[in-house]
Amino acid sequence: MGIIPQIIANSIIAGAIYALIALGFNLIYRTTKFFNLAHGALTVVGGYAMFFLYKELGWNVYASAVLAIVFAGFVGYILDKAIFRQLRLRKASQMVFLVASLGLLTVIQAIIAILFTSQFQTLANNSTESRVYTIAGGIITQTQAIILICGIVVLALLTLMLKKTMFGRAVNAVSDDEEVSKMVGIHTDKIIGWVFFIGSAIAGLSGILVGFDTGLEPTMGMHLLLKGVIAAIIGGVGTMHGAFAGAFLLGFAENFGVWQFSGEWKDAIAFIILIIFLLFRPQGIFKK
Amino acid sequence: MDAIRTKELHKHFSGVAAIDGLSVAFEQGKVTGVVGPNGSGKTTLVNVLSGMLPPTAGVMVIGGEREMKGLRASDTAYHGITRTFQEVRLFEQMTVLDNILVVLTERSVWGSLFERHNAGHMKKVETVLTRVGLWEKRSQLAHNLSYGQRKLLEIARVLAMTHSDHIGQDASIFLFDEPFAGLFPEMIKVIVSVIKELKEAGKTVILIEHNMNLIRELCDHLIVMDSGKLLAEGKPDHVLAKREVIEAYLGE
Amino acid sequence: MPYLIHIAILFFIYAILGVGLNLIVGYAGLLSVTHAAFYGIGAYATAVALAHYGLGFFASVILGIVITAIVSLLAGMVLSKFKDDYYALASFGFNVIAFSIFLNWESVTKGPLGIPGIDRPSLFGFTFSANETFLALAVVLFGAVYALAHFIANSSFGRVLKAIREDEKALEVFGYKVAYFKLAIFVIGAAMASIAGSLFASYITYIDPSSFSLNESIFILAIVIMGGLGSLRGTLAGALFLILLPEILRFVGLPTDIAAQMRQIIYGAILVLLMLYRPKGFIGEYEVK
Repeated sequence: MGIIPQIIANSIIAGAIYALIALGFNLIYRTTKFFNLAHGALTVVGGYAMFFLYKELGWNVYASAVLAIVFAGFVGYILDKAIFRQLRLRKASQMVFLVASLGLLTVIQAIIAILFTSQFQTLANNSTESRVYTIAGGIITQTQAIILICGIVVLALLTLMLKKTMFGRAVNAVSDDEEVSKMVGIHTDKIIGWVFFIGSAIAGLSGILVGFDTGLEPTMGMHLLLKGVIAAIIGGVGTMHGAFAGAFLLGFAENFGVWQFSGEWKDAIAFIILIIFLLFRPQGIFKK
Repeated sequence: MDAIRTKELHKHFSGVAAIDGLSVAFEQGKVTGVVGPNGSGKTTLVNVLSGMLPPTAGVMVIGGEREMKGLRASDTAYHGITRTFQEVRLFEQMTVLDNILVVLTERSVWGSLFERHNAGHMKKVETVLTRVGLWEKRSQLAHNLSYGQRKLLEIARVLAMTHSDHIGQDASIFLFDEPFAGLFPEMIKVIVSVIKELKEAGKTVILIEHNMNLIRELCDHLIVMDSGKLLAEGKPDHVLAKREVIEAYLGE
Repeated sequence: MPYLIHIAILFFIYAILGVGLNLIVGYAGLLSVTHAAFYGIGAYATAVALAHYGLGFFASVILGIVITAIVSLLAGMVLSKFKDDYYALASFGFNVIAFSIFLNWESVTKGPLGIPGIDRPSLFGFTFSANETFLALAVVLFGAVYALAHFIANSSFGRVLKAIREDEKALEVFGYKVAYFKLAIFVIGAAMASIAGSLFASYITYIDPSSFSLNESIFILAIVIMGGLGSLRGTLAGALFLILLPEILRFVGLPTDIAAQMRQIIYGAILVLLMLYRPKGFIGEYEVK
């Protein structure tokens, strides 16, 4: 039974990564009501921006991280202005948004693959990987500890922002009803633009953390995105704490499943859980 | 005899009652008007009767058959029920012709695979489209029609349901949800005559309408709803003179 | 010339895939992104039947269709519970699950190593071993699939599918049990993909799971959307364009790996631009909705 604490540790780390992606995805979903598949591409953008600044240019790690996160946010903002806003104006259906965002995901992943090759890359240096902690028999690296902290901090900040700030209230108003918000004088386009910036920046952050933890691949965007979406749905789409809980549930289910079967079944397990939830509890864990 | 009867019908939306213990009867072969302020539950009633919404509680009886706790939308046609929609629902990116043909052809998967529309179908399409003046428009897409033409196409579609060979019975109960709203007088005239013809043919018509002149002209019986309940019923002239009915409208 | 024949064979395989998916996505309006799963089932059915059981190619095609029909019936029943983007997402799920099965069921599929040495089809002692003759076989199978799709599209059934795409709730009121129609077309479209899979396996003579991933489903969807929903001819144009694209890119001098990425960029960008400016696709009559 000595392996159980390690599986729990792995589950928590996986959960924290999924949580970060699900939080950003959910923030955008609750405001715009479409599945933004391009969200996955922003993890790739963040991760490779970090790779470029930190590994290729040799910048300081913090400066690189800040710039890479802002860059991912900025790309998300541009995607909204250039494409999604146009579709909103046309009152396009969810299907149109879905296909357009799928196209964007395809394009961005391929551009990154041309710029940085499809090879697997890692952000970690030997020095950052040296530190490990043992907690109740489970080993986690320093990177993984940072991932966990980031997950919790982002959840706390997002919740605070949505509950306590003027901006948060405006976001909630747009989420409830975009038309009415417009009528009461909220600049909905501006709010949605910022939501894209923040959500995409969070995606960028998750890409960087994944790059330190396991490494980067241009095609990881699709993969991470799907996990984030699944987490968001099983948690209850649109709720922040739901996304967080769903992410950890998914992390645990995957890691215990992998332990029971084999690593290759991980993605199948995630989708089986999704389909079970969609069939029997489509509103997710938390939504009434 | 009653074509449809409801007993203690309830429909709640997340706790709010849109229909609240409604017991009404719609007599066969008669035109029954349903009026009431906005939000009084008229459209919800039509949606429940046509199977598009399941009732929360209560039963309905169709044609004196056994009591039913609601029915599936796909079964309503087999009880002779057909309807129009307040917000017109056509098959938008299909031609006017196809909008009618689709209610005339085979209902089974297997049968429809091996069926192509034939002269017999076209004859029926011509009849109903000519009736509402849309035969010339048959090859246009539904979403290119004007607002009024769209409403008329819905009328033609329910008329076609009286010619459908694949349902086992012709439509005998017609639910019209504000068919006249926003129409020009000449289009109103067409629909008025259609409803009169249906009545002459012994069909049952349930008509939601706001225009009291049309109600007086067409309806044999009138039901007034307010807050999901039955407020008054009887002969149109009689009911419309009642004080509580006038107040319900003025209070809107 | 041999190269052209190779391209032509690929085109017909993808045309079959596209035509089947267009019936599902374009006619019935079900945004299914799991076509590669059925493509894979057909390919593995042929590979396993030919390599291990000595069945003939045509028997293996039938076997693939039967297995695909059963699997797609079950998948379709589950998917019928969902709408719009949830439908699409759940269909992603089926593709990922099918892919995992191809990868992990090693006793049958040989896992990531794949199955080599699949025979070319033979009929009454004649073997379609030369690419020229194989092309003829591909044309015949494609012709059969296209004729069937055309027959369906022009029947009353085809009209019902379009009405389902436009407003299935309203259609129900007119006496249609739409769930059966959706299931039927899902199974028919999937069976067509299975035929394409059988062709592919015996043409390439080697298969592994990588040909049947979610990305492949997205690629087939791109063919359909590009050509136009509900337009069978459009699908052929879409398949032709996307099959020729990497060849053109190579022809203008891009290295193979860059050309592969460029193809992704171009078809991704076309999807985005179509959604922005022409949701009907190049030739189609119906907008994505």
